[in-house]
Amino acid sequence: MRLFKVLILFVLIFTAGCASYTTKKEAFPQMYTDRPLSILVLPPINQTTAADAKEYYSVTVTEPLSLMGYYVFPMEVTSEILKNEGFYDTELLINTPPQKFRQYFGADAVMYIKILKWDTSYYVIGGNVKVSVDCALKSTISGENLWKYDGTMVLDTTGSDGGAGGLAGLLVKVVLTAVQTAAADYMPVARQANFMTMSSLPYGKYHPQHNQDGDSKIIKKDNVEKTESENK
Amino acid sequence: MKKLLLFLLIGFLISGCAKQQLYNWERYPFSLYKYKKDPTDENLQKHKEMLVAIMENSKEKDLRVPPGVYCEYGFILLKKGKKDEALKYFDLEEKTYPESAVFMQNLKSYLNKSDKSSNANISSSETAKKKEGI
Repeated sequence: MRLFKVLILFVLIFTAGCASYTTKKEAFPQMYTDRPLSILVLPPINQTTAADAKEYYSVTVTEPLSLMGYYVFPMEVTSEILKNEGFYDTELLINTPPQKFRQYFGADAVMYIKILKWDTSYYVIGGNVKVSVDCALKSTISGENLWKYDGTMVLDTTGSDGGAGGLAGLLVKVVLTAVQTAAADYMPVARQANFMTMSSLPYGKYHPQHNQDGDSKIIKKDNVEKTESENK
Repeated sequence: MKKLLLFLLIGFLISGCAKQQLYNWERYPFSLYKYKKDPTDENLQKHKEMLVAIMENSKEKDLRVPPGVYCEYGFILLKKGKKDEALKYFDLEEKTYPESAVFMQNLKSYLNKSDKSSNANISSSETAKKKEGI
């Protein structure tokens, strides 16, 4: 009977957070009609003072996005091609209509990433990084927004599994290795932020649950920040 | 009752664990970051080895090689002047992921053009032409 009580308690805790959930299909209906297969990720735009945030972000975005079932064009190749085509300026890239990227890359959708905040803080027994991003996936056919994520994540840098432990929808367990060298310190943070961000995307063609996840629950956008900090 | 609950609980736990990973990415972002931060020959070599490890281990685990890996590897070979080998990997990318066909074809034609101008970079007139297109 004690087990029963514990279980009830669990259910209560979970339902307490449920008020702010929606389904993937409700949140992003166009993902289910447009069904993009291939995604071109543009180099992230860094609006923070953390100079390295852009690199951390760009090298860690392909993995989670591919694991959601999409074909992701290799950023190392595409960013160089874009530079050769004269797109040195990220501003220029944002102002280019998404349709243009269909011609050269054959991409179904384009991913735009803006890093708005990258604040590190330290306390006696650890530290964290507050990361705010604004991501949007746009169709290269209609030019319209298919998916969007903007929110703040607080990520633990103490070296344990971070703040993502209780997050629903996180597909792959992100193993955080406590790399102590200065250069690699924030890699796991960016990687985890990308995993969290991309987990609200509907599954793509290469995922076994493609087209079957319309009813899966995700956290409603405007409640993301609150929920994240509660998880801490 | 107790038994049933325990059974359910265990069932939930197992279903969570059994998820098979779609791809094997090894430690790709780490070697790539290192190379981008400090683009030495040594770091490029290490990243190249990482790409090889991804391809080999994926085959071993009977997984599809992750998107873009063949292409990225081919691109590194191309920059080292190994054109024929590079083409082989661009073909592998296209075969594994048909949605990459447009890009792979463009990459190849880009390669042939750069051959004529005997330069790895696209010639200026072509750049101007492409700019209108893209």
